[in-house]
Amino acid sequence: MSKIIAVHSYKGGTGKTLLSVNLAVTFAKFGKKVCLFDLDFRAPSLFAVLKVENRECWLNDYLNGACEINKVLIDFSSRIQGNGNGKFFAALANPATEAIRDMSAKDRKWEMRALGRLLSLRNTLLNDQEFDYLVFDTSPGLQYSSINAIVAADYVVVATTSDRSDVDGTRRMLRELYNLFEKKTGLVINKVLDATSKSKRDEMDSRVKNVYQVPMLGLVPCFCEILRAEGNMIFVQDKPNHPFTKILEEMARKIDANEVN
Amino acid sequence: MKLHNDWLFVSVVDVIVVNNYQCFVRLNKHSTVSSTVLQFKITRGKPVSKEILSKKPLHILEKIKENLEKLNEKMEVMIELQKHGHKDILPLPDASLDVMTLLSMPDHLRKTAMTICRCGRATAEEVSQQTTRARAVESAYLNQLVIMGYLKKERKGRKAYFFTERDSQG
Repeated sequence: MSKIIAVHSYKGGTGKTLLSVNLAVTFAKFGKKVCLFDLDFRAPSLFAVLKVENRECWLNDYLNGACEINKVLIDFSSRIQGNGNGKFFAALANPATEAIRDMSAKDRKWEMRALGRLLSLRNTLLNDQEFDYLVFDTSPGLQYSSINAIVAADYVVVATTSDRSDVDGTRRMLRELYNLFEKKTGLVINKVLDATSKSKRDEMDSRVKNVYQVPMLGLVPCFCEILRAEGNMIFVQDKPNHPFTKILEEMARKIDANEVN
Repeated sequence: MKLHNDWLFVSVVDVIVVNNYQCFVRLNKHSTVSSTVLQFKITRGKPVSKEILSKKPLHILEKIKENLEKLNEKMEVMIELQKHGHKDILPLPDASLDVMTLLSMPDHLRKTAMTICRCGRATAEEVSQQTTRARAVESAYLNQLVIMGYLKKERKGRKAYFFTERDSQG
């Protein structure tokens, strides 16, 4: 079943973009037709990860009603080596300072129309163009663009770390944001130290059960190789046998099999 | 139906036939929703001709049933409005149904508003199919959202469509 997935977090630096890109590419490697959206208009980053510079139409223009979504999509399918017919597209946010300033100054009416345009992607991309997954990489915290993405999504992947303030903020957000919108959520605890030890895993399981009270989608250890890569590679594509790739494949499999309730 | 000084006034007039006479039935007194006894005033009108009686008994019964259903629906709407108090239904200047507004809404209205956001335009019946609440209840909530200025309403024939400003045509 086709789905819109929003990747969100309370704080910045939790690994949303890393998870979004690698989850989207994993779906494409599974043979799915996927589109990744950069909805972090205040700090766009996908243009750098996917090495794109000049574009005629950005996602900003689509939300402004200045162009159709097909003018924004970039086909990266040739970069994906998977089993068969997987397709990978991306819609990028404009990284120019002027564009960031413009997006920061939008009013409530504009945000309401932007929500309408995000919601209409379900018809244009999922229904008409038969995409299997749309993955929204959002900005952290309670900002209009990220809440719009959450409202438009079917499933929210919540990225968090073991940081005290992140734990408290994520717990509050689960209760006061996702629950209010009745969204299905899955938690990914990222950058976990000693993730292979049983005691650490038990501690994380207990935290998810008692503190967050939502299903755990994945536990991602802190990998030095990811830091060393400095965002220059798509890990699941370039390191197919790395444990990080295996964890992402398991997450994608759970979402695809609807084992996320 | 109209709201006035915390009292609900209902004006329902119906025509039924009793003992071959047309009778006008009027809900006579103002009544709070909590009151279970409604007072009706029945006045006798013209005698109904045998021809009409023999030709349309089924039609008349259907009309009575239809009007009773309408009355029942109105009562359900009044109960819902009363349940959540009147403070929620004040019209707001410059109201827009953005996500922050959705977040600050009471739960029962948020569910309805979210459904309209997703559907674009919908009738109370269509909303009720998604929320699995009664059609009359959704109708009450949708009308509250219209009064508050978050939704717009348009009639096409017998159907009333609700939509947000961003989905308005023209």
